[in-house]
Amino acid sequence: MDELYVKPGNVERGWNDPPQFSYGLQTAQGGPKRTLLNKRVAHPQVSGAHIGPSPGPPRPTPHAVHSTPPTNPAPPPRPCGTPGPPPAGMATPPQPAAVLQSAGPPEGQSEVAPGLDDVVALFNWALVACRQSVKKHICDDMEKRIRLFEEMWRSGKLSLPVRRRMNMLVQEMKNRNWDASDEIHRALMVDHVNEVSQWMVGVKRLITETRNLPPELLSAEEGAKIESNNSSLPVPE
Amino acid sequence: MATYQDFIQQNEERDGVRFSWNLWPSSRLEATRLVVPVSCLFTPLKERSELPPVQYEPVLCSRANCRAVLNPIQVDFKAKIWACNFCFQRNPRGPPSPLVFLYVVDTCLEEEDLQALRESLQMSLILLPPNALVGLITFGRMVQVHELSCEGIAKSYVFRGTKELNPKQIQEMLGLTKPATPGQQALPSTLRFLQPVHKVDTNLTDLLGELQRDPWPVAQGKRPLRSTGIALSIAVGLLEGTFPNTGARIMLFTGGPPSQGPGMVVGDELKTPIRSWHDIQKDNARHLKKATKYYEGLATRAAENGHSIDIYACALDQTGLLEMKCCSNLTGGHIVMGDSFNTSLFKQTFQRVFSKENGEFRMAFGGTLEVKTSRELKVSGTIGPCVSLHTKGPCVSEIEMGIGGTTQWKVCSLTPSTTLALYFEIMNQHNAPIPQGGRGAIQFVTQYQHASMQRRIRVTTVARSWADAQSQIQHIESSFDQEASAVLMARLGVFKAESEEGPDVLRWLDRQLIRLCQKFGQFNKDDPNSFRLSESLSLYPQFMFHLRRSPFLQVFNNSPDESSYYRHHFVRQDLTQSLIMIQPILYSYSFYGPPEPVLLDSSSILPDRILLMDTFFQLVIYHGETIAQWRKAGYQDMPEYENFKQLLQAPLDDALEILRLRFPMPRYIDTEHGGSQARFLLSKVNPSQTHNNLYAWGQESGAPILTDDVSLQVFMDHLKKLAVSSSA
Repeated sequence: MDELYVKPGNVERGWNDPPQFSYGLQTAQGGPKRTLLNKRVAHPQVSGAHIGPSPGPPRPTPHAVHSTPPTNPAPPPRPCGTPGPPPAGMATPPQPAAVLQSAGPPEGQSEVAPGLDDVVALFNWALVACRQSVKKHICDDMEKRIRLFEEMWRSGKLSLPVRRRMNMLVQEMKNRNWDASDEIHRALMVDHVNEVSQWMVGVKRLITETRNLPPELLSAEEGAKIESNNSSLPVPE
Repeated sequence: MATYQDFIQQNEERDGVRFSWNLWPSSRLEATRLVVPVSCLFTPLKERSELPPVQYEPVLCSRANCRAVLNPIQVDFKAKIWACNFCFQRNPRGPPSPLVFLYVVDTCLEEEDLQALRESLQMSLILLPPNALVGLITFGRMVQVHELSCEGIAKSYVFRGTKELNPKQIQEMLGLTKPATPGQQALPSTLRFLQPVHKVDTNLTDLLGELQRDPWPVAQGKRPLRSTGIALSIAVGLLEGTFPNTGARIMLFTGGPPSQGPGMVVGDELKTPIRSWHDIQKDNARHLKKATKYYEGLATRAAENGHSIDIYACALDQTGLLEMKCCSNLTGGHIVMGDSFNTSLFKQTFQRVFSKENGEFRMAFGGTLEVKTSRELKVSGTIGPCVSLHTKGPCVSEIEMGIGGTTQWKVCSLTPSTTLALYFEIMNQHNAPIPQGGRGAIQFVTQYQHASMQRRIRVTTVARSWADAQSQIQHIESSFDQEASAVLMARLGVFKAESEEGPDVLRWLDRQLIRLCQKFGQFNKDDPNSFRLSESLSLYPQFMFHLRRSPFLQVFNNSPDESSYYRHHFVRQDLTQSLIMIQPILYSYSFYGPPEPVLLDSSSILPDRILLMDTFFQLVIYHGETIAQWRKAGYQDMPEYENFKQLLQAPLDDALEILRLRFPMPRYIDTEHGGSQARFLLSKVNPSQTHNNLYAWGQESGAPILTDDVSLQVFMDHLKKLAVSSSA
């Protein structure tokens, strides 16, 4: 849900700035079949067709017939009793429906907000595993950035979508789905760079180093990690 | 195949090639009488998902001085032999080499822009190919080359922004020619400035995050001193000395014009504005010639080494794209033009440089294209984002069209949509018999470096039948591809416009159109009303009409930078996108049926319609007067008017799908009757109804356009008169 959205462009800085797509939406292959906009109409003069008023029901130009446009225009045709059915070929809007109006998915979700402790516990597990074989200065750097991430979460500087997706990221890491966690980190960096840029590169490095560790190092730590995991509570805002 | 349209489409899907004529006139004289040259649009890396790469070298002809590539056209399966009719040249293949991404960043930006740029650059690090090398040069008044060591204090080498240095001097000053002194960390000297991204991403992320604005104060009434010329020169020199003949991208990010040193485009006094078309026409642009020559020199050197240069220019005023465009045009690099780095247009377009298709990067590097032809044809030249490799041979025509005098070109950076226009000369003498076998053949051999560092070769071989123009002119006429021809002629026009005066180009274009109509129109002499064109040519005059009005040939109302930007994209896009640029697509949405294409004409602007116009560079959604009133009244929010809500949404959804994928990202304009932004639509439609002919024309619908431009009807009237005239 968090990964697929469109929000308006920055019309303050760029005139007619186009809307911004989330990483997930941009990288999605294909989608619902839409009208393929590639046809043209030949000018009647050249093809030898009858030259006359343009096709379609003739309509008086507002300027010619009315001095001012009507202030209470006749309402649009209603679905029942309209001359024709709603136009075919109009597919449903892309999922989700938040298009150009809202700045992202609504805050009130039925799921519980993710707990920081879970996330940090997993990162700590990975860090400890890495310290066995990865160079010290790299581990120190990774740890520094994880702490920064932790600090930002605790002080409420991270938005809900970021927190939620970080939780998903660590779940993927826990299940050894390294490519999936990598993809989530990439999407977060593209969609929320201003929130994550300072520490995300540490997470990236952690994923890379952890996936390259020999398996016995990871499973040895797994037991220790499960012990320290307590039941998660929603983090108070 | 039922029709030529099917034939054309199938061949395009299979080969990525669209010819102007699909039946070739058998003599040189007849070919010139056809007006539009035998030519084609070729997309070397057209997506072909069902064609996996084969892991062996192509099978070559055994004759030592021939060596063309085995292809289906030449095989006689019965006799189990294949007869070859090309010559081929073997090219050496080296070990896989890394790809280099060198960021060249302007620090004379407002803080908001600089922050947005920092974030985009940090984000791009995670999008790079995994084994890529990265480097960073920043510039303002001075130019700094940053050393990307793994630990310790960040170091950089500082150059004055005014002093021109030759490549050897640059390499010496960066210590690239000396061996490392003993006691120093044993880093190969080349790698101090260009390091693998997976090793330096943490340091580089921090370095980018700490980038400061250029510290030199800018006085009132002055521009910041921007040493773009020296910065680019150092970037080109650095790569020349360390990674020649390797795939590399120099990515220049700039927020204003070069104002200092070689390549400066404007001085630092704000009261002297940057040159306009008017200044150029009056020969009042004092830096233009010198700066253009300077950047052409850099571009040529970069292209020779297989390096491409991208320009990401974001500013409200011009940034010198007119002078710098050759850097991208000769190397295949991108030009992205925006108002600010803190816009979706820049951020998304930049992201799409690194986009993937089926898990593979779309970008490719170090491309070369070689064209071989059967004896009856020669190659006149190419128009596209490439440079000549000056390869002489029997296939080279003496008549040059575009970049000629060669059968090999270099395309340093390319994507699956990069399309080159190739022009051919037919060599057979008039009245000579049709050549043996009845078909002419052309082979395109494209070699390139994939983003996985793997080198690949793609071979496309096509053939078309010869026809005697005297007896088979109707068949030749049916084989005419008016869409491809429009784009091929347009590219010739744009190529001419770079070196000739605007009015001369229009006159040339008009002359070609009149000649084509004289040759293929059906008419009675001196009777314009009898003039008719067959279906295969019916859209062509319309294309030419819109081309004449397009920003590619009309510089009025655009700055020199904008014209350069539009032309840059025009001469490299595939056929469909190029056609959109020439004649925008217009679709109408209403309650009366599904969305339908409508005439790009003022008569299509109706009160109860929503129009979606795609010009490639802009997507315009225009709400007719009644629709706008309903929208304002809020009917879309009422449940009983659900269909109106859907009607409003439909063009938005179609527009979003285009916006999601197009490179570069277009501007998005949502406007309505009477809105100021409606001018984007009004300036493109044929002004069949203007303030001049409002009551004379007899049309009762559509919105009049306030213009003195000639309408398509008037244009066609003149064209017919000239075509049928016996004195022409």
